[in-house]
Amino acid sequence: MTGERRVLTFLVRRTLQAIPLVAGIITLTFILIHSAPGDPVYLMAGDGGDAAYYSAMRARYGLDRPLPEQYIHYVRSVLSGDFGFSYGYQQPVFGVIRDRIPATLALSLPAFAIASILGIVVGLAGAAARDSRLDVALRLMTSTLYSAPVFWVGQILLLLFAVLIPIFPVGGMRSLRESTQGSVDPLDLLWHLVLPCASLSFSFLAIIARVTRASVIAETRREYVRAARARGLTPAAVLLRHAVPNALLPIVTVAGYQVGLLLTSASLTEAVFGWPGLGELLLDASAQRDYPLIIAILLTASIVVVAANVVTDVVYTAFDPRVEV
Amino acid sequence: MGYNPPLMSAELRRSRAATAAVLVIAMAAFEGCRRSGSADARDSLRTLVVAQGNDPGSFNPAITTSGNVHPVTDQIFNGLVGLDERLNPVPELAERWDVGNDGRAYTFHLRRGVEWHDGRPFTSADVKFTFEQALLKYHSRTRAALAPVLAGIDTPDPHTAVFRFHHPYGPLLQRLDVVEASILPKHLFEGVDVMSAPANLAPVGTGPFRFVKYEKGLFVELERNPRYFRPGLPRMERVVFRVLQSAITGVMALERGEVDYISSVPGADLPRLSTTPGITLVRSAGGSGGSFCQEVLIPNLTRPPFASRDVRRAFYTALDRSFIAERVYFGQGTPSTGPITRKLEWAYSPDVRTYPTDTAGAERLLDGAGYRKGTDGVRFTVTFTHPATAARLAQVVREQMKRVGIDVALEGLDFNASVEKVFVRKTFDLGFASFCNGPDPEIGVRRVYVSSNIGPFPFSNGAGYRSVEADALLDRAATLLARSDRAPVYATLQRLLTEDLPYFWIIDSDGTRAFRSTFTGFRPWAGGFAEAVERAGGS
Amino acid sequence: MPKASRWPASVRSTSARIGLLFIGAVCVAGIAATVIAPGDPFETSGAVLQPPSRALLFGSDDLGRDVFRAIVHGARVALLVALTTTAASLALGILIGATAGYAGGLIDDGLMRLTEVVQVMPRFFVVLAVAAAFGSGLGTLLVVLGLTSWTGIARMTRSQVLSIRTFDHVIAARAAGASSGRILLAHVLPLTLGPVIALASFQASGAILIEAGVSFLGLGDPSVMTWGALLHEGQHSLRAAWWLAFFPGAALTVTVLGIHLVADAVSDSAAAPGWEG
Repeated sequence: MTGERRVLTFLVRRTLQAIPLVAGIITLTFILIHSAPGDPVYLMAGDGGDAAYYSAMRARYGLDRPLPEQYIHYVRSVLSGDFGFSYGYQQPVFGVIRDRIPATLALSLPAFAIASILGIVVGLAGAAARDSRLDVALRLMTSTLYSAPVFWVGQILLLLFAVLIPIFPVGGMRSLRESTQGSVDPLDLLWHLVLPCASLSFSFLAIIARVTRASVIAETRREYVRAARARGLTPAAVLLRHAVPNALLPIVTVAGYQVGLLLTSASLTEAVFGWPGLGELLLDASAQRDYPLIIAILLTASIVVVAANVVTDVVYTAFDPRVEV
Repeated sequence: MGYNPPLMSAELRRSRAATAAVLVIAMAAFEGCRRSGSADARDSLRTLVVAQGNDPGSFNPAITTSGNVHPVTDQIFNGLVGLDERLNPVPELAERWDVGNDGRAYTFHLRRGVEWHDGRPFTSADVKFTFEQALLKYHSRTRAALAPVLAGIDTPDPHTAVFRFHHPYGPLLQRLDVVEASILPKHLFEGVDVMSAPANLAPVGTGPFRFVKYEKGLFVELERNPRYFRPGLPRMERVVFRVLQSAITGVMALERGEVDYISSVPGADLPRLSTTPGITLVRSAGGSGGSFCQEVLIPNLTRPPFASRDVRRAFYTALDRSFIAERVYFGQGTPSTGPITRKLEWAYSPDVRTYPTDTAGAERLLDGAGYRKGTDGVRFTVTFTHPATAARLAQVVREQMKRVGIDVALEGLDFNASVEKVFVRKTFDLGFASFCNGPDPEIGVRRVYVSSNIGPFPFSNGAGYRSVEADALLDRAATLLARSDRAPVYATLQRLLTEDLPYFWIIDSDGTRAFRSTFTGFRPWAGGFAEAVERAGGS
Repeated sequence: MPKASRWPASVRSTSARIGLLFIGAVCVAGIAATVIAPGDPFETSGAVLQPPSRALLFGSDDLGRDVFRAIVHGARVALLVALTTTAASLALGILIGATAGYAGGLIDDGLMRLTEVVQVMPRFFVVLAVAAAFGSGLGTLLVVLGLTSWTGIARMTRSQVLSIRTFDHVIAARAAGASSGRILLAHVLPLTLGPVIALASFQASGAILIEAGVSFLGLGDPSVMTWGALLHEGQHSLRAAWWLAFFPGAALTVTVLGIHLVADAVSDSAAAPGWEG
């Protein structure tokens, strides 16, 4: 088999493996819905209806059928994209979530990229200057960044750079003074993006930095590096040309497996800055006890994590010749 | 392990990343400077941004009195009359009116040439429809007061509407402004369920601003109505209501210039704002949320422990309202003494049963009522269901009640959820609401105490208070015309209600509003506060 | 197989010492809260929005509550969250991991599938879903955190069990007739403890941050004074009172940082590279 075919087969295999996983997640959310105290129809359809409304909702969600039937009904709905009806938004949940995804992507992807780049830089510096004062200082800084609650960092950035020193806007994704009818003004978006993106990057950066440092140091211990040093290459050249590219793989895999954490941090950041993405939607839904929406967001987040894991696994096996596919 | 040539050397990657980062930050900062510097030169000059604390949800002002909906809809709709600074009626959709038959018939002559935002003409049929199919059925204050006394509305021609009453009715004109009785377009609601009509999410009115867009949880956008019946108005091109999330306060946004008007100022920021250049503060008791408002705790009279009057008296005695007015409301109001606020001067009576704060006295009352302290010092537990915005009040209440052995469990809910629980489903022990008296007690006081208004309607008689005497007094006051005749009746009512104590009145609020001094023409006492707004010095 | 020395060099390092200091401070604050800062943290007073001073070490909030007292009492909750999460994740994780590793076959398969499902669902989202259905009491939160924090430990335990099973002295013990339980306790567990404890502490610090996040959003237990709740309440007065944001956030950072520094030292000594978030 050629390399590409191997990877493709692995991708398919991994995706197939992910299916029972997704089934398991859907099952767990089903259990969650039905283990809650009280009648599940109030959870799924809100508190404000009358008898007629509730019998309609019961029929819609199949809540009057026996449990096993309900389960099948539920799984089928989810798989066909029907995540239920949000009584807070008065529209199908799927549409509500879909409309918010672009905003979350606009925040998370740049943050992920920036955190990765800066994290690698910081980790490299630490590895290169191992155990020096710079290294210790960097490690302390990254540990602190990782330990600080992401919403606190956001709050402080907001206070400092939007209120006390008025450079950036006080939250939101766009300036409401301009007409909201046209397409988004990219510079306006960027201006609103800086603070939330920075706040989200900081926490993620620390993880990348740490893993970079550890991974690069581990690489430098390898045979081929010693051989290269013996050949007369400077430590810097060895680092940059040999250790780093090989160390990239573990960095990428760790980053990939941290997507769950990224989603959580993004949600909290969105809440602080009023950034209208999935996280802010979750906060809204939680405050209103809009259960179908909350469950659907949980499902979506979990599935994203599963997908990220699959992708990371594939990347890992594709680029690590040591692993047998 | 072989030697793997790198795809791109780390140096190159690093310097490119650094350059990109610098560029991005530079662009963003530049954009920030560009905006703040030349804001005046741009079209955004004609936009007014208003801070909105909670998401409105929907836009039908005739079926709800919610203070989340009205600030928006009061710019989109009109009432038959408007109210001036002293809350006296002035012409709006009605040009003039006659009162006949000793106050039993009001004839309104409607303005001609008024159009709905979709171009259709406004007629008396709209007035009749709005009252009969919306206000009298679903609007808490109208339902409670007008329904029993209104005999009918006649529309002899498209520009005349006659309100007929069973008996002389004095306070009609005060309850016909846009806050109390917004007029809906019949053609969009006829034949559909008013509660769930599509027009509730895309409102069409006759008012100074037209609805453009609503993004739930984020903002509502309105634009100027070029065919508004008042010449020269409105002056702003756009009004945007920005829904604020908790971390970003209205004050922050106001100081930063991102909103231009906030309808309430937290006490902690009052001293600073009052001395901030560029920001104007104004106090007014009226407004879109309602006028002459009180913050009130609602005990559930239909079940123990609050079914017992002694328990209620004990609770009220233990409640230190002065402290709450000072700490929780930062002096933006005075502690209440009864069901009618001091601000409604002609109807207010200080001759009532008072409850000075007295912890020992409260404890005696509770002992006497049979609620002795258990071994853990707790007499009984009640759950206080409150909207998240009243969280600070809730904590103070809990703490004050702890001193007399009452354990208050807090249940903070989203605003709409707490309204549902307290008023609609009625599964609560203690609730909270801001009840506005309105320009006349008939408007906002009656609906809270009259037994016919006990039902699943938000901001109705949530405590479930039934008193034949109170009903009779309220009915009597409604039939008299002159204020001098009605005042003594209300005085008797206040005495009765402070004896029975069906509700716990905390504070008569003053509303302080703040706006950027670059604007003039706000009318904070009126629903349509933005109708005449413009930039100072003309735009 | 050399036994690790009781106090490996790395634990004695400066950063580990700082970490221990931080954790120690939080523990003292939590345990001795009523002694250090007596009184009810919810008690309101007249001294509203006072900046830090001799009398009010961390200032007061807009209801006149003593922020220092609130933070000291908040340490109790943080301790509670950390300890219950650690205990639950260790107990469940070791149990499940060891069972899976030792039993093998279908049981192993089944348990690992369960582990994967639980691992993949972000804890924060699960907590919010459960809070919407079951209410936002602290007890509920602790249960959810306990039930979702064991997955990393389970995996690690399982892989350790799998590798250790093949060691000579374990095989010898089996041959000599020792029961599986004894082998587990006497041979397998002691060697896995180091990295597992490090992992458990990361779960604990994550749990503290999750509880803080939930309280910050206003969705936490209103009758308990937690650092996240302090940050939530301070939001309204941020402009006027920086200390309302600073101290609770610093407390959280210090606590979590302390846990990380110590956990790093422990895992360094056990030579386990990298870590899970």
